[in-house]
Amino acid sequence: MSQPTEIHTLAGAYALDALAEIERAGFARHIAECEACATEVAELSETASRLSAAAWEVPPSRLRNAVLAEISHTRQVTGGTVERAVQGDVRRWRRWTAAAVAAGVVALGGMATVWVVQEQRVGDARQQAQQLRTDQARLNAVLAASDLRLRTSDVPGGGTVTVAISPSLNDGVALMSNLPAPPEGKAYQLWLIQGESPTSAGVMAAGQRTGTAVLDTIGGADTLGLTLEPVGGSPLPTMTPIAGVPLA
Amino acid sequence: MSARAGRGRDPGWREQPAARIAPVDSPPEGPDELLRQVARGDDQAFTALYDAIAPRVYGLARRVLRDPAQAEEVAQEALVEVWRTAARFDPGKGSATSWVLTITHRRAVDRVRAAQAGADRERRVAAASVETPYDDVVEEVTASLEQQQVRRCLKGLTDLQREAITLAYYDGYTYREVAEKLDTALSTIKTRMRDGLIRLRDCLGVSVA
Repeated sequence: MSQPTEIHTLAGAYALDALAEIERAGFARHIAECEACATEVAELSETASRLSAAAWEVPPSRLRNAVLAEISHTRQVTGGTVERAVQGDVRRWRRWTAAAVAAGVVALGGMATVWVVQEQRVGDARQQAQQLRTDQARLNAVLAASDLRLRTSDVPGGGTVTVAISPSLNDGVALMSNLPAPPEGKAYQLWLIQGESPTSAGVMAAGQRTGTAVLDTIGGADTLGLTLEPVGGSPLPTMTPIAGVPLA
Repeated sequence: MSARAGRGRDPGWREQPAARIAPVDSPPEGPDELLRQVARGDDQAFTALYDAIAPRVYGLARRVLRDPAQAEEVAQEALVEVWRTAARFDPGKGSATSWVLTITHRRAVDRVRAAQAGADRERRVAAASVETPYDDVVEEVTASLEQQQVRRCLKGLTDLQREAITLAYYDGYTYREVAEKLDTALSTIKTRMRDGLIRLRDCLGVSVA
């Protein structure tokens, strides 16, 4: 990847906030178009932040009260990185998902014991861990595929379901993000639907609102549907899907 | 997830157990996870994040601005901005801690430069240990592991790299100002900032997902 060396040498000064306003804006435009530069700047910014360790100082306690009081009546900006990125820049989105997925796998490590208790029918923990590694590899492969296709649907009441499919790999993943909290005793379940015929593609845990699922045998399925089912999932959907993502 | 393994491809319905879906949002833990919860409007997560990170935020603002009252104002502005824009945090570009400190640093630097024309800046410049900014840093370094590591890695830089980086980061000077102060060519300062940070990055073992 070639980039103008001249502007690229500003990466250090940019990470240190040592550019004047105009140069800063110019360099920000440059890194938006240069992935190698964006990575370097991200690393150098992270490095610069570490320098603040040397400046650690306990603030006056009134700062805490003042900040907490102010945020209680400050509106948050909505529609963060995820949404914008899915519509916009696929590469960015991939980086985001890779990180989110990595976080999910890490979180899973802490939950493995619980799962063994809950899912004894599935087998021992080692099998589960092996399965997770396989799923993770598939997930990474799909997200890195050159023919990656993305489809996103909003879920009534909040959140999104995004499906990433690679036709060449005949594989796909679904990412559920910030779904509305399921009612007591209910959990979200995914269905691959071909015509009138649904096949379960996974059930989320009780109360779970965000997650990833590797989709098996997408085959001729034309829609990914989301339903609310009793915790543990249903063999067949008990309702019409509350959200559907077209796969074709 | 293993339910599908070994199963035939039934054209129609498929029996339980259904595959499990990997959770992404649990368990609650460090700043990254807290910030994700803050993005969803969780004020308790924000309080936890505040407690974890406020000394870094305030300390950095104080280091750049010197004046405690101004540092407090900037710290408050930065922390409220963290609450307001948490949904923009992109974990693919770095840690939550770094994101918060970048917001803080930029605000602190903007404040310093806004005061540039006034006598305020002059006093500040006089107070800043221009000759040996690094010693000034060392003086305040306590025994925490991270601080020791930062100090050790700063020592590993050339004098020019170290001075260029500390004048910019801790004192808020632009690279043009740094070049003037150190009586060195602009292009040299740019380069030393970059290769110095790269050396620091490698020394600190910083990587971004």
